[in-house]
Amino acid sequence: MLKIIIPTIMLIPLTWMSKPNMIWINTTTYGLLISLISLFYLNQPNDNTLNSSLMFFSDSLSAPLLALTTWLLPLMLMASQHHLSKEPLTRKKLYISMLILLQLFLIMTFTASELIFFYILFEATLIPTLIIITRWGNQTERLNAGLYFLFYTLMGSLPLLVALLYIHNFMGSLNFLMIQYWIQPLPNSWSNIFLWLACMMAFMVKMPLYGLHLWLPKAHVEAPIAGSMVLAAVLLKLGGYGMMRITTLLNPLTNFMAYPFMMLSLWGMIMTSSICLRQTDLKSLIAYSSVSHMALVIVAVLIQTPWSYMGATALMIAHGLTSSMLFCLANSNYERIHSRTMILARGLQTLLPLMAAWWLLASLTNLALPPTINLIGELFVVMSSFSWSNITIILMGINITITALYSLYMLITTQRGKYSHHIKNIKPSFTRENALMTLHLLPLLLLSLNPKIILGPLY
Amino acid sequence: MKPPILIIIMATIMTGTMIVMLSSHWLLIWIGFEMNMLAIIPILMKKYNPRAMEASTKYFLTQATASMLLMMGVTINLLYSGQWVVSKISNPIASIMMTTALTMKLGLSPFHFWVPEVTQGITLMSGMILLTWQKIAPMSILYQISPSINTNLLMLMALTSVLVGGWGGLNQTQLRKIMAYSSIAHMGWMAAIITYNPTMMVLNLTLYILMTLSTFMLFMLNSSTTTLSLSHMWNKFPLITSMILILMLSLGGLPPLSGFIPKWMIIQELTKNNMIIIPTLMAITALLNLYFYLRLTYSTALTMFPSTNNMKMKWQFEYTKKATLLPPLIITSTMLLPLTPMLSVLD
Repeated sequence: MLKIIIPTIMLIPLTWMSKPNMIWINTTTYGLLISLISLFYLNQPNDNTLNSSLMFFSDSLSAPLLALTTWLLPLMLMASQHHLSKEPLTRKKLYISMLILLQLFLIMTFTASELIFFYILFEATLIPTLIIITRWGNQTERLNAGLYFLFYTLMGSLPLLVALLYIHNFMGSLNFLMIQYWIQPLPNSWSNIFLWLACMMAFMVKMPLYGLHLWLPKAHVEAPIAGSMVLAAVLLKLGGYGMMRITTLLNPLTNFMAYPFMMLSLWGMIMTSSICLRQTDLKSLIAYSSVSHMALVIVAVLIQTPWSYMGATALMIAHGLTSSMLFCLANSNYERIHSRTMILARGLQTLLPLMAAWWLLASLTNLALPPTINLIGELFVVMSSFSWSNITIILMGINITITALYSLYMLITTQRGKYSHHIKNIKPSFTRENALMTLHLLPLLLLSLNPKIILGPLY
Repeated sequence: MKPPILIIIMATIMTGTMIVMLSSHWLLIWIGFEMNMLAIIPILMKKYNPRAMEASTKYFLTQATASMLLMMGVTINLLYSGQWVVSKISNPIASIMMTTALTMKLGLSPFHFWVPEVTQGITLMSGMILLTWQKIAPMSILYQISPSINTNLLMLMALTSVLVGGWGGLNQTQLRKIMAYSSIAHMGWMAAIITYNPTMMVLNLTLYILMTLSTFMLFMLNSSTTTLSLSHMWNKFPLITSMILILMLSLGGLPPLSGFIPKWMIIQELTKNNMIIIPTLMAITALLNLYFYLRLTYSTALTMFPSTNNMKMKWQFEYTKKATLLPPLIITSTMLLPLTPMLSVLD
């Protein structure tokens, strides 16, 4: 694993010592090279024994997320070039260093083999994200957004620290590979119920669960583009990954403890999808759509069947790429008209037809069109929740319909129809933007040819 | 103050603390405390204004009362055990009296009322000495009598200190008061673990002193005592604003900075002793602390506060204030977390 971590650390001296006109090129190129290295880990033998060292390991669950994280860094750098072009050189280098630092912490989080190490890095990812949102966001609301983001996550995760230390005392070690063999069923008692809650609430807040999702629209909307991309694509998946790792310790309590969270997720996904239909702010729409998709992941992880785990993993990867692409598209709008209101820039298909093609593909993947991996994820989750309880099919069906509705609403409002007359003089699409969209879309479409690499450890 | 006098007074302060830490006779410990207190009064009154006089008087009164209480506890211990040597205190009354006296010296709740007012009335340098060096002596005595301290009393004091330190600092804009409430909260964390694992208390004290020293030095570099004047720092020393950001997050106990080490270790020791609710409560209340540190960083590092036009010229001048040992202090206050496995040498 050091072959990924040390090059990522060395990206920081690379930014600080490059010539001023080469900082973006250097970091993006080497970031892409690092993501090539991470692709090696996708070749997993099926017996789940890939263990690199004492501290790091990777299995079929963390390898796709690792590949997603390393793939996203060059994309974030490409997306940020425009809005940082007017800043002084030191601030550009600081921004890039924050992104690289965040990348480093995320790589270590996804490959951590000990749960306390995972916890420390889980919290460590908060600091660069906070700095990116609060320092480089654009509106005054970003201060509040940073506060909500930090404190919601910390309130959830401090009980997790206590719970992990308690489990450490109880089991002897928190090395994930070892505790798989020492798991005993958790008896039903009040203190074990609180243990379950303490373990899961951190990840529920991070996912986010419907009742605790208030930080997400604020943080996603106020963050600059790279911040939004990494938040939507990777940081939410930290919650899903953590939940999948820690539910192995918490059986059989999950059978009945999951009910309140299942209810919140099932209801919440419909609620947040419906809110999307009434949004005027483009980034806010994409943020609420993230909540809705992640609610599906929560339902899948709490059901704990093989198909649902496969669906959750596939959905996480698919949603990561799709959501990040949607944020990039929204940002390309924002950079031209400096407003996030959807109806201000309508009918863009006439003005920027290639970008309209990317909008179309992004919206189609967002509404889970076959044969994309979004569909595979959603379908597996719907099927497994149907087998858990037949009635959920109604709610899932309503959700799929409303998802289609708001994705098409977003597409039609921004792309179709007559253009608004004041946007005739926007700049045409940069090659950088088109490359960005291609790099998002290509993995998404290629993965539908071989989805088994993202289906996780239970394939 | 004339240099020879300053040297003598500083030497007396240090000698006083050394006498407290190194002696095994209770009378000498009391003498050390009194030496320390009397010598620090002129330091507290370096600027001769009524506010400083009020601060020194309050400090003198509380510390003298605490020393007398300590002497009473020592005498009761002498009555019941017949010896002056510092060792396990067999009589619970003596133990409670000594604990109360020492926590009064430290500024733990419910004896915390003097800390903000004294810290506010004195200069930044004196405040730094007050909040760092003066904590060493009482803490060393608590370490030595730790097997016989009443756990319930100390845990109650610790919990209320963390709560007071968190809530009291929320409404403050004066930096010295903020650091005072931060000191109350950190002392609370230290007091919580003394009876279970005193080594962690020493770890927390060391890291707390390092972080507080760095913070005060950064404030002194800027000569700022209010949040508003701190917020002009981006004009003068933009690099130091990033240092303030990292230091404040470290004081708040965020991983992966070294301020997280004591909190992690303390929660680990408390959970080993089957206490689950108390560390959870303490950890969540520490978030209040984090809130007002974060507010400081918001105004200093993460936003560019509006300032008058003549402020913007200040970056052109070289600064001549000496920041003694600032780089090593900042590095030890923020980047020590990867060295946590080295704590095993303390066993």
